[in-house]
Parts: sequence; C-alpha cells; structure tokens
Amino acid sequence: MREKKKQQFHILLYLSFVVLLFWPATASAQSRPKNTEWPSYGADLAGTRYRPLDQINAANFGDLEIAWRIKTDNFGDRPEYKLEGTPLMVNGTLYATAGSRRAVIALGPATGELLWIHGEHEGKRGGAAPRQLSGRGLAYWSDGKEERILYVTPGFRLICLDAKTGVRIPSFGDKGEVDLKLNDDQDIFPDLITGEIGIQSAPVVAKDTVIIGAAFREGMTPRSMRNNKGYVRGFDVRTGKRLWIFHTIPKKGEFGYDTWEKGSAEYTGNTGVWTQITVDEQLGLVYLPVESPTSDFYGGHRPGNNLFGETLVCVDLKTGERKWHFQLVHHPLWDMDISSAPILADITVDGKPVKAVAQPTKQGFLYVFDRVTGKPIWPIPEKSVEVGSVPGEWYSHTQPIPTKPLAYSRNGVSIDDLIDFTPALRDRAKEIASHYHLGPVFTPPTVSKLEGPLGTLTMGTASGGTNWPGGSYDPELHNVYVYACNSCIEPVGLVPAPKEVSDMNYVAGTAGKEVVVLHGPGENAGADSPKPPKKRQGSGYIALNIDGLPMVKPPYGTITAINLDKGEFVWQIAHGETPDVVRNYEPLKDISIPRTGQETYNIGTLVTKTLVIAGEGNVTTTADHPRGAMLRAYDKMTGKEVGAVYMPAPQTGSPMTYMVNGKQYIVVAVSGGPYSGEYIAYTLPSTGE
Amino acid sequence: MNTPPPECCTRREVDHDLKMRNRTAFLVLVVVASSVCVLRAQAPAAESRSVWDGVYTEEQAKRGEPIYRKECALCHGDMLTGGESAPPLTGGAFLANWNGLTMGDLFDRIRKTMPQTNPGRLTRQQDADILAFMLSVNKFPSGKTELYRQSEMLREIRFESAKPAAKK
Repeated sequence: MREKKKQQFHILLYLSFVVLLFWPATASAQSRPKNTEWPSYGADLAGTRYRPLDQINAANFGDLEIAWRIKTDNFGDRPEYKLEGTPLMVNGTLYATAGSRRAVIALGPATGELLWIHGEHEGKRGGAAPRQLSGRGLAYWSDGKEERILYVTPGFRLICLDAKTGVRIPSFGDKGEVDLKLNDDQDIFPDLITGEIGIQSAPVVAKDTVIIGAAFREGMTPRSMRNNKGYVRGFDVRTGKRLWIFHTIPKKGEFGYDTWEKGSAEYTGNTGVWTQITVDEQLGLVYLPVESPTSDFYGGHRPGNNLFGETLVCVDLKTGERKWHFQLVHHPLWDMDISSAPILADITVDGKPVKAVAQPTKQGFLYVFDRVTGKPIWPIPEKSVEVGSVPGEWYSHTQPIPTKPLAYSRNGVSIDDLIDFTPALRDRAKEIASHYHLGPVFTPPTVSKLEGPLGTLTMGTASGGTNWPGGSYDPELHNVYVYACNSCIEPVGLVPAPKEVSDMNYVAGTAGKEVVVLHGPGENAGADSPKPPKKRQGSGYIALNIDGLPMVKPPYGTITAINLDKGEFVWQIAHGETPDVVRNYEPLKDISIPRTGQETYNIGTLVTKTLVIAGEGNVTTTADHPRGAMLRAYDKMTGKEVGAVYMPAPQTGSPMTYMVNGKQYIVVAVSGGPYSGEYIAYTLPSTGE
Repeated sequence: MNTPPPECCTRREVDHDLKMRNRTAFLVLVVVASSVCVLRAQAPAAESRSVWDGVYTEEQAKRGEPIYRKECALCHGDMLTGGESAPPLTGGAFLANWNGLTMGDLFDRIRKTMPQTNPGRLTRQQDADILAFMLSVNKFPSGKTELYRQSEMLREIRFESAKPAAKK
C-alpha cells in the first residue's frame, strides 16, 4: 500500500531578531559551561541525570516559585494526560516534545516563551502507531556551527530539524526525514501504514551517529507469535544514511541464532530497545538495554534462551558490532524488559579504578559490570529457579542472580510481604493471596484455573521496581539513586488462546474471562458490528487491594542510594506522602503509620551538587497542601528530606535542571487523572534588589 | 438523603427530575448570591452522593465488561492493573488520582482520550457501562439506578477512595 502523502505543517513563531539574541555571534559549543546545560535526555550520554548545580539547595528548596509553565493541550488535536518528556536546554534554548501530536517546541528557558513549533501530520500511520502521544524527548547535535534537533514521530519517522528555526534540514535523508519502517533488514508487515513498530524514547546522538531502537504494542496478549523485530540502527547525523544495524534477534549464521530452537528466531518479533540508550563516546561503545521477545508471559513458541532478549548488549559505536553481552533473564517469561538507561560510572572497587555500567531493572536488581569487558563487578551466579508446568513452555532451570548489591525493591510476593497494620487486614490479604501461586523472583506464570491458582502473584515484572525513568548517578559520591515501586503487584496467569484471537497456545489472561485482542482503529467497532460473544461463567474480579489499600506492607515506593564502590546501600527512604486512602482509612485512625511512599512506577530522579530531587506519582490532599503532588528534595548524603514544593498534578516526566542568566531552574512534566500535560519551571524568588 | 429515584422511573423521568432539581438549585443560588455575594458556594449538600452510594447497577457493570475487554484490556490489562504504557484502573494510584474529584471528571477524561487509537468512538452509554464495570472491579457498591451518561449529572457524584465510616 502506498503511503498517503504526508502533510507537513510548520508554524514559525519565532522572531528572527529574538533568535539572533539567543545565538550571540556563534557562541561555540566548546566555550559554554556545559555543566549548566542539559544537552541530552539523561543530562549526558552516560545517563546520569546529574548536574553539579547548587543555587537551589537544602536551605531554599521550599522557597521555589513557578517561573513559567506551558500546557501542552494545543500541541495536538486533543489534550494528552501522560506527558513523559524531559526537555533539553542547550545554548540558551529549551527544547521538548509535547502534546498528542508529539510536536517539538522551542522555548525561552527563562520565560517559557514559545520560539517555534514543529509537528508532523501522519494521518492513518500516526493513528495506528503502537507508541503514541508525546514521547520522552529528543536529541540535540551540533558541530560547533550548525545545530540540529532530532526526534522520532509516532509513525516511526526520524525527523531532523534546524534547532534555530524548527525547519526540516533538507539535506538529511529525504527532505529532512528518514522512514524508519524502511531499510530495517526486514519487511515491516502488514504494510508501512499499519505495520506495528514505533518508539517513544528520545534518540541518542553520539559522535555524529544517531541511534534508534524500536518499540511495539503491549506484549501480553499478542495476536500472533510472529511479529516485527526491534533491531537497533545507527544513522549519520549529517545525511541520515544508515551506518549500521544490530539484530537483537540474530539472523541465521549470526551469534546467538541457536538460542532460538526450532527456527523460532525466524518468526519471533519484538525484542526491541524501547528505552534510553547509553553511550561512552571515549570508548566508542554503545549500551543497549533489550526488551522481551514475543510474548511477554508465554515462551512456548520460542524454545531456548532467546538471545538478545532481556540482555544488556554492548556494541561498537562505529559499526554496531557486538563487543559483549550479558543476558539478565534466560528465556524471558516475566516481562522483565530492560526498561531504563544503563548508567555509566567510573568507580573504585578494592582500590582499583573501574569503568562500570550499572543497570537498574524492574526486578529490583542493579546489575553492575565492567563496561569494557562485560565482566560482573560482583559475582552474578546462576541459581536454580522454579520450573513451571505450563503445557508447551520451555524453561530455563537457572537464572543469574546478583550477589551485590542486594535487590533494592521487592521482586516476589510471599505471605511475609502482606499488609499487617491489623490482623483483620492481614487475613483479608491472605485470602486474596490464597487464589494465587506465590514465590520469589523468577517464579514462573501458571495456567489460570477457576479453582486456583488464578495465576502467579508477581512483583517486579510488568510494572514493579524501576521502569523507564531509570536512575541517577552522582559522579562525586559514586552513588546511584534509583526510585522503585515496592508494591506494584502483577497477577500473571495464562489461558489457552482461542484460534480466532491468537495463533499462540497461551496468552495472558484469567480463567473465566473472555480473551480479546485489540482490533485496528474502527475495526468491528461501529454500531452494526457483531455484538461481543456472551461471556463464560467468570470467577469474579479479585481486587488486589483491600478497600484500596495495597495488599503488601509499606514502603510502597522507595528511593535507594547505592554506593557503587562497595555495592552497598547508603540509604533507602519511602518516597511520597502516605496515600489518602491509607491516611483516611477508618480502621487505622488510631494507628500511627510512618510515611509509606506511593504505589507508582514511573518516577525519575534528578541529582545535583547536594540534592536528590523527585516528584510524587500520586495525588494527595493533606492538611499542608490542597489536592496535588509534591516535588521533593532529599539530602543526597543522608536521604533526609530538606524541602518540598507543590505541583498541581503528579510528576510524569523526569525533572531536569539548568542555569540561565545566573539563575537555576528545575523543569518537570506533570499530568495524570483529570490534569492534562504541563511543563512547569521552578526557580528561586527574586531577591528584590 | 441519597434517595435514589424510585425504580419505576424511566431514564427520561430521572433526567427530567434531576434537571428540575438542578434548575431549582440554580435559582436558589442566584437569589442567594445576589443578596449575599460573599457566601460560600452553596454545596449541593442535600443531593450529594459519592461512589459509595450505589451509583451503578450490576447489570450495567455486566454490560460494561465485554466492552472493557474489547476496547481497554489490551493496554490497561486483563485485571485492570495497567501496563507499560497505560495506568492501572484499580488500586492505590488509580484511587489516589481521582480521589476528591467527580465521576464527571473521570467520564470526561475517558470521552476525550479513549480509546487511544480513536478517542470518542464509543457512545456515551458504552463509556458509562465501562465506568460501571470499573466501579464494580474496584468494589464500590452497586445500586438500583444506572450510572448516568451525562457529564453534568456525573459531576454530582463524588469519587472518594476511602470508604466512609458510616457505610460499612
């Protein structure tokens, strides 16, 4: 099918003389104090989310005021309620993706003034995209003269813009774009418009190479064992020409092909890199955190260990050739996608300097390797794990489990983990748990049965631990700071897939519940479409909470500081106000409960000279503040809270910071519930002089 | 308080009845506001209902379930626990994000943005049925009247995460 000619719209709002003011006589990239800017998604290519700024500090954090704010409602044909971006601030301009169009906006960093906006109307191709909305951000590149902004549209096209004007760079690819559905060593099926592949993370540019991964729909209930594959590619930032490709599922003859038995590498898909990619420019090495293969919870159609599924892969920046790899999970069955940026850290272990890479994960392990050799810094031995009994499934009998650092969040569910505020609450939690199979990390899914188990009760799989926001790293103290959901429970059951639903033997589901897959937009959805079939006798829904209270003990969400020289925790705190539902729960009114933190899995941290800063993921209403969420600051040495400032909605994109005109700013994306996306910039009050 | 309209009422009668009540409330407000302009907004105290007052029927929730499974489950999950790119529709984070708001806010959010591939494609009735199903999964009690499909009426129903002490 031929793609409908895309309409490109372009609105230039900037005033050229203003722009000239922002680019004083080609301020060369080298002469600017880079520590005061935020030039890539994770602050730097090492994924640290660190800036050594200290104008905003423990003494004044609580004084922060809103410098400017920008709602993203009009950057698309409808508002979006899940604004996940982290802006960049380079050379006097702030850049961000925004709105349901995934528009690119350029703002004055001190005022929030809109300088230009760029958006791509992709029609059906955008509407059919597996990863929609504004995405996580964009990439900036400069050779000291020219400046470029790169981002990927929902419809999977890499767009290159002039950073000064927002106009496409005509010499890049085809008039400023590269169609990422082409030239991918596979034919994206069924066609270029609806073919399932996309990405929501920010591109990475390192030494003139743009690196792009791939993402797909949720992989719990796929229609087929066959899907497009998520290869990773490098492109020339000047021309858009493809420089290299890394096959995350090896092709025949390539290393790792034999870890897909019965030829399953041929048809299995997914296995992309949907989260942030990290680069060591000096070593010329790229670190790829690879996700799960098709499907998330059933691997019976892909016997074998399945390289490079859920594997940290190091490739050469120039060629894309594999240097080393470490598979975190053999034969993935838990949706333990490597979900966040690997963090590069130069540390000292037993008196020796080590160039390390640390990988936070959903399963709450921080895996630490020598980033040159791939050798674990502390032993990660293969340990026996439970072998399940799902018909047709292939099981790895061992999994690598780090000895150090210890897991920083729960990654299994046991009776000991259940709520214990009162005996009555505990009994109710036990009753809920009795319908499920319980166990430690790597307890496999079960077939869902009405008489039980309905599935395996897991934590640190699809939603727990650390998800896409990842962690931060402080190069001064050699500490990783990482948020984790410590209460995000995921029931994982499997049900036979009806033939008309999927060609898989099993898909995620619950006994007694009809299995459905998503249809294409509008497909079978009109007024005269066939009515859905009558539902079979169901088991009723078992809420995995008790009157809204999490069924496990607090803390519900934590921030942990982990020292990488020693592999040990420095501190761990509950992050976030105790939820209203707990604070206002009648049976607990006479019980004093310390701050519990919150059940949410998308909180990113920022680390500065003295502080660790993160917003809350839930809304609360307390005596201290109206309905809203708090942006909190902690002493990075001790974890003690030193200040908090009100936000009208939860943090949904990780905070960043920069200095401009002698003032430090913190920008954070908030949204959720009824509150549509907004970037808010905080700064200190003027002194009155 | 919280007397549901008698079961014999048809939907139209209920709507009409409520409209009349709203109109009366409005007139009262105008009178009060014009005489004592500093008075706090007259909360519709006498009519105030929350999700704990049985604001949907079991039948409606049953109708909503297959629609949920077809239109929502792929992203929000089989058990409403959410997914990588979609928030949970049950449990702590969900309750926290809507606590203190109204069913109208939640309903409008669904109308405006869901299903993601084609927002607003479903009818108001379908969305109301899905919402009824969500309430049932979240263990809010069912009642004798169906959940409204009019945003302005849904705005009169408060979403409260904590079970009120009096209604155990």
